Amino acid sequence: MIHVRRLTKKYKDLQTGQFTALDGISFDAMPGQIYGLLGPNGAGKTTALRILSTVLRPTEGTAIVNGFDVNEAPELVRRQIGFVSTNTAIYDRMSAWELVYYFGQLYGMEPEHLETRMESLFDRFQMNEIRNVLCSKMSTGMKQKVSIVRAIIHNPPVLIFDEATSGLDILVAREVLKTVEQLRDNGKCVVFSSHIMSEVNRLCDRVAIMNRGNILAEGTVEELVEKYEEKDLEELFYQIISVSEMNHEAQFASDAKAGIPLAR
Amino acid sequence: MKPSLPATQKQESPWHGNTPQLRNNTNTSDTNQPNQINMKWPNVKLIFARELRDQLRDRRTLFTVAIMPMVLYPLMGMAMLQVAQFMREYPTEILVVGADNLPDEPALIVDGKISSEFATPSDNRLMNLTIAENVDTEFSSIIEHLRKQADGSVDLETIDPTIQQEMKTRGVDLAVFIPSAIQPPDETQPDDVIAAVGVHIFQNSANDKSRIGSDRFNKALQGWNSGMIKQSLSDNSIPLSLVRGVSVSNADVADKIGKQAAAWSKILPFIVMIWSLTGAFYPAIDLCAGEKERGTFETLLSSPAARSEIAIGKLLTVMTFSIATSILNLLSMGFTGMFVVARLGSGTGMGGIPIGAPPLASVGWLLLALIPISALFSAVALAAAAFARSSKEGQYYLVPMMMISMPLMMIPMLPAAQLDFGTSLIPVSGLMLLLRGLMEGQYAECAKFVSPVCAVTLICCWASVRWVIHQFNSETVMFRASERFGIGAWCRHVMRERDEMPSFGNAILCGVIILVAKFFIGFVATTPENFLEFAKTTVIILTATIAVPAVMMALVLTRSPQKSLRLRLCSPPMACAAVLAAIFLNPMMTWFSALVMQVYPPGGDLVQLESTVANILGTAPSIWAVLLVFAVAPAILEELAFRGFILSGMESLRNKWQAIFLTSLLFGIAHGIIQQTIITFGVGMLLGVIAIQTRSIWPCVLFHLTHNSLAVLLSKADAAAVGGSPLLQTVLYSTDGQHFQYSIFPGVLMTVVGVLMMVWFLKLDPTETATSSQSKLMKLVSRWTSPMRPTA
Repeated sequence: MIHVRRLTKKYKDLQTGQFTALDGISFDAMPGQIYGLLGPNGAGKTTALRILSTVLRPTEGTAIVNGFDVNEAPELVRRQIGFVSTNTAIYDRMSAWELVYYFGQLYGMEPEHLETRMESLFDRFQMNEIRNVLCSKMSTGMKQKVSIVRAIIHNPPVLIFDEATSGLDILVAREVLKTVEQLRDNGKCVVFSSHIMSEVNRLCDRVAIMNRGNILAEGTVEELVEKYEEKDLEELFYQIISVSEMNHEAQFASDAKAGIPLAR
Repeated sequence: MKPSLPATQKQESPWHGNTPQLRNNTNTSDTNQPNQINMKWPNVKLIFARELRDQLRDRRTLFTVAIMPMVLYPLMGMAMLQVAQFMREYPTEILVVGADNLPDEPALIVDGKISSEFATPSDNRLMNLTIAENVDTEFSSIIEHLRKQADGSVDLETIDPTIQQEMKTRGVDLAVFIPSAIQPPDETQPDDVIAAVGVHIFQNSANDKSRIGSDRFNKALQGWNSGMIKQSLSDNSIPLSLVRGVSVSNADVADKIGKQAAAWSKILPFIVMIWSLTGAFYPAIDLCAGEKERGTFETLLSSPAARSEIAIGKLLTVMTFSIATSILNLLSMGFTGMFVVARLGSGTGMGGIPIGAPPLASVGWLLLALIPISALFSAVALAAAAFARSSKEGQYYLVPMMMISMPLMMIPMLPAAQLDFGTSLIPVSGLMLLLRGLMEGQYAECAKFVSPVCAVTLICCWASVRWVIHQFNSETVMFRASERFGIGAWCRHVMRERDEMPSFGNAILCGVIILVAKFFIGFVATTPENFLEFAKTTVIILTATIAVPAVMMALVLTRSPQKSLRLRLCSPPMACAAVLAAIFLNPMMTWFSALVMQVYPPGGDLVQLESTVANILGTAPSIWAVLLVFAVAPAILEELAFRGFILSGMESLRNKWQAIFLTSLLFGIAHGIIQQTIITFGVGMLLGVIAIQTRSIWPCVLFHLTHNSLAVLLSKADAAAVGGSPLLQTVLYSTDGQHFQYSIFPGVLMTVVGVLMMVWFLKLDPTETATSSQSKLMKLVSRWTSPMRPTA
């Protein structure tokens, strides 16, 4: 469903010349699977997901989403995905109904079918009470519900959640996670990024641990724990990131000694 | 790549539903690629409708667009009416010294007032005369100074500053001094008496009361003077008819509507432009920077709408608000203005022109012009707002935009500004002048310039819309990170990241440095007095302001200065072709120069400058010295900068015609004078083609050198020189034996050959020419170095 190969993203940086946000990562995510991207802040998770949603273009490498290449057919890729970002990112001056209807139209859905699907989703998410409420007047949890409905209105085969529970209270966060699970159970391919261990542990079928633009370890949680002989995912994560940071520091010191300019 | 949509799901659940029935509007093109517009208009319409509704729900936008014009102007009108009640004209305090020197008949001053014969009652009411005696102690100091000033003991040109001080202290706005007895003119008066100044008026032009009082007093004096002449003629029994002269009658043929249209045509275009820009800016900030701040931009970018569709949808929204703001402001201002004028009881304004509603035709033209004006401003505002990371940052961009737009809007308001071919090519100003002409009903005159104005406006609109789309496609603009800026870090970055060739930004920077350097060196450069000084100044200015910046930038900012400056050698045939092309194209360029001079006749300053230069050239030791200064130096130094560094940077646009056009534009502007700018722009286009096709500046140097040399030689050609050569006799002709021009037939023939040569240049393959030239250079180098190699 999603095949990422040697995906690289570099930005120009005034201080260091060039900043490598993604350093040739590769992974595969399948339908009916939640693929977790786990990493500290600045690991490159958001950049990877932005490339998958074609908001950014890769510097090198490619990603195939449901058969479409992000470099060659970005518009068709966007039709295959539903994207839920860190913040709720919905229009404050639109009601829930207007907002979802607007995105449904952008996805090219016929009006009758769009309305039927919206009724069904609004029922499922118990959003009928807020259908005519402006988003600015909604709670954060409600906003996130609207955001999810907006992302799945066109029934995409691929869903991308970029730290979607960040800033939500525990009740809303649980509801979001439940929704993600249900989407997986219905055959969707879900890519879920987070830095919260418990969420990843509970949800993800496969996990990629990222740091400084690289995937350091990849597999199921059980495989990784067994391979690295750690007691749980949190300990595993801590160890892998610590070793990665130590190696980076050592490389940095060695470069500085050799007179190689600072670059990441 | 599997070109299929998601497989249809059989289950009917909220998660699956039926696969949405999509309209058949899928497209495999990559609409995210910059500079590629492939629009799906239903998406544009959707985005436009949403943004419009969103803005209409925004209180701040509604306040700026609708509430403010509807409330502000009536409030201002009410305030004006209130203030008007307290406004009145204050009388001018006039001190008259030496009133007893005035003749009794006709009497200028009667009972301490200007005679009713020479001033209207209202004027008299506004002139408070204080008649001072010569011995008046209160005004003795002023009288003393006036006397000194009037009798010539103090130079009249240098007014004693103490007079102004004394006038202020004594509360006098205007001082009138009659130093000696004035007699009605008669034939027995000696010349010195006739020539002597009878009445001295000392006014303070920095004080409005003094200035206006002076006008009123002068008007009365003119009437009195005429009266005195009449009396003198009558006393000498000379009939008045002898000095009557020609009676002049002035009649105004303009009808009321025409007068109103003329009055409105000067105000309304400016108001429309200002509000169009202001009305575009705030929605543009909210739709770009505001969306970035709220995080909704990413959601929109991950939807199937292409970025060009998003950009155009937003642009149409901004344009709608820009137009609405202009119209609402105009309506509110018009109604308030008419109401205030009616309440003030004055039906006239602006030089006696009746104020009423603008004629319908004027309003129609205004609304028609509003569309391109709003499109242009909206696109520029949107593109600028796309840079901003936050609404606050976006607002910082408003002031520079206003500063750039204001002069373009103000030019047409100048009385001297007229619609001609030159002004019609100035963006915004040309459109405003055309609009003014149409509103005044000068249709025949305007019809001549509709095409250039429309062409320039459309090009500007097109370019700005492309800029908006480019901005939306650019990751560095849309996801611009907040970076800590430091000069040191930036310098390190520039040195570290330098490319082999200059970038577009480097080229523009070089052009700007050249223009700024040329502007400032104009202040310090002294006017040369002889040819040697002139030659030194010219070469120093060319070197310091043009060649040095380009060479320095090539050395510092690029890894290959030689390639950046196009210093590679060219083959001898190319060098010959460049010289021949310059010779054969010279008639065309000469005629083009003449045409430019006809369209833009040189002003007095340019004529004087040409005459000064001609005088200096007269002191030149030989023609070779003149050619060295006018042909060789500019050819080498200007080509290094323009076809060398700047054109190399412009080539990063990957469109040779855009690169040549922009380089030629900078080359033209660097010449400073409008006529030269246009002529050198044309030459620059030819040089640009040669530089791009040959990948070397040397053919350009030869072309430039030949072109300038021929211009100098043609200007210096005389009958003897031309008469001595049968070839020149065939090619040139003169009507006065001094100024020579190209004959039509040989000139056209030469032009055809020249154009064919340019076509030959265009057909060259730049990569091949570069390789062959490079290999020739290598052969040459190896030939030079081979004797030094040790023999085997």
